Amino acid sequence: MTTFVELDVRPILAAGGEPLGKIMETIGALAPGQGFRLLAPFRPVPLFQALGSMGFAHEDREIGDGDWEVLFRHADQGELTDEMASAFVEAAWPSPLMHLDNRDLEPPEPMVRILAAIEAMQTGEVLSALLCREPVFLMPELEKRGHDWRGGFDHDGTTYQLLVRIGARREAAE
Amino acid sequence: MVTGVSLSRWTMSYFAAALAALLLAEGLMAAGYGYPSASIESPRTLIVVHIVTIGWLSLLMCGALFQFVPVLIHRPLFNNVLTMPALLCLLSGLVALLSGFLWLDGQIEDALPFFPIAAILLGAGFALVIWNLARTLMSGWPLPLPARFVGVGLVGICLTTALGTIFALVRGGVTDNAYLIDLAGRGVSLHALAGLAGWLTLCAIGVSYRLFAMFMLTPELDRRGTRLVLHLAICALVIAVPGGVLAILSEGSLNPVLLAAGTVGLAALGLYGRDMLYLYRARKRRMIELNTRMAVLAFASLGLTILLTAILAGSGALERHVAVVVFLAAFGWLSGLGLAMLYKIVPFLTWLECYGPVLGKKATPRVQDLVVENRAEKWFLLYFASVWGGAAALLYEHSPTFQASAAGMLVATAGIIVQLLRARRLVDVSAEARFPEGAHRPGLLYSFAQRA
Repeated sequence: MTTFVELDVRPILAAGGEPLGKIMETIGALAPGQGFRLLAPFRPVPLFQALGSMGFAHEDREIGDGDWEVLFRHADQGELTDEMASAFVEAAWPSPLMHLDNRDLEPPEPMVRILAAIEAMQTGEVLSALLCREPVFLMPELEKRGHDWRGGFDHDGTTYQLLVRIGARREAAE
Repeated sequence: MVTGVSLSRWTMSYFAAALAALLLAEGLMAAGYGYPSASIESPRTLIVVHIVTIGWLSLLMCGALFQFVPVLIHRPLFNNVLTMPALLCLLSGLVALLSGFLWLDGQIEDALPFFPIAAILLGAGFALVIWNLARTLMSGWPLPLPARFVGVGLVGICLTTALGTIFALVRGGVTDNAYLIDLAGRGVSLHALAGLAGWLTLCAIGVSYRLFAMFMLTPELDRRGTRLVLHLAICALVIAVPGGVLAILSEGSLNPVLLAAGTVGLAALGLYGRDMLYLYRARKRRMIELNTRMAVLAFASLGLTILLTAILAGSGALERHVAVVVFLAAFGWLSGLGLAMLYKIVPFLTWLECYGPVLGKKATPRVQDLVVENRAEKWFLLYFASVWGGAAALLYEHSPTFQASAAGMLVATAGIIVQLLRARRLVDVSAEARFPEGAHRPGLLYSFAQRA
């Protein structure tokens, strides 16, 4: 059974601070078999990838008022359930190959550009896009085409970061 | 977790039925049917009023909410199939209600108990709509601010339908309960306020906060003043309807209740106007499309409605001229905003349905390629000019001018509908670019909502 050290970065961010140092400090101090529970005022998508590359799997859930709880644990320790295994795979997305900044485009132009960029990419590659709102009409289209996506707002709620991993099902979907 | 939004299947059918009702109502007004040729409580006036409020405005709002409540909360619609039976109930209920008024007017025999049938069908139709939207909203808890307006709007339509049902049962002779008869006699203004303000205006406000921020690239508003709009609106609704009903049942005067509700409601609308002004001023997008420009005329009509209400109330002439205020609110504000938004929504949904599957794979037209703005602009200008002319004619009680204005509105609406049909049919997209391979040809009344 993994035990969790809790780290609440909401006060740090609210005070205008940068929580990454504290996060790394917490990780460095983890005992074997320990994970940590992160409480953040947004879904910390960039962390999933950064910590994924250090061997951490994550489970995240929204806890209300836009706050998120994320459980990070070493994926190579303790019991590796199917759920954790898939969480580990999710955490291990490669670095994005393509970056789009679509924040100043009028809808539906962000959606058009993302879908156009995706068509030129290979299976397994990742695209990162910045948007000024959640792309609600894009998501079903990505799923229809067999791509995985993760997304969330940054801490001040103005920029939405979307990561799309090109799926293998895309040929079948066409 | 399911996220993302697909197309609402029957929204286009709602829009088509709504626009047909608007044409019918404008035709009747142009022909001199109902107020001001008949009295404001006459069955003929009530026929026109209900064609506008149920047939046009409520169906338009329901169709739009089925598509945009999911956009407000980033969750799919609870049920995409129930929307059709709801539409059939509402349309047949409206026909029954209009038949009841025709019977009251002595135009038809009482072949059927029209009012009880109308109460059942309209009650069932609105219940289906409310249930579907409420379940959708519940899946997105805690609700973002724009969706909370829609939530309160659903309470507004519950109250409107409840009062309407009581009136129908009294008129149909189903009940002889003294309280209900009293309510039917004195509660008409509460029914109208709950419908026009509580249901239609609150939902329009909620959706406009999100859509205008989206169209003009403005950060979304969730400041103290915006939350105050919601809280004041809730106060006004509570004072007006449960408060007004209590005043009637306790045989007190309605006037202080309406004055209190009106004051709070006008404060809410004032703050809302300030927010809309902010959205236009703070926009990142300098050039705005026709729909957003024409919406300014709808907001101006809302401002005019507020100003006129305040002036008439101040000079004690509100009761005499209440029709002017209701006309401006229904046609200048709600219908004007509705038509302007349709000019954005119909092309966008059509574009998404047609080109969504091939975006990025094939060259596709832009949304703006589906419309020709300068062709539509003159119809919108004619529409608003006619509405303002009609309001002036009502104020000065000049029937011929009012009928001429209504005819202007009829022609303008027909012109706008032709533009909407051209967009839905993609007629203005060049023939070679219209249907790239793999594109989906949209039906007129149905949207193909493909799931992943």
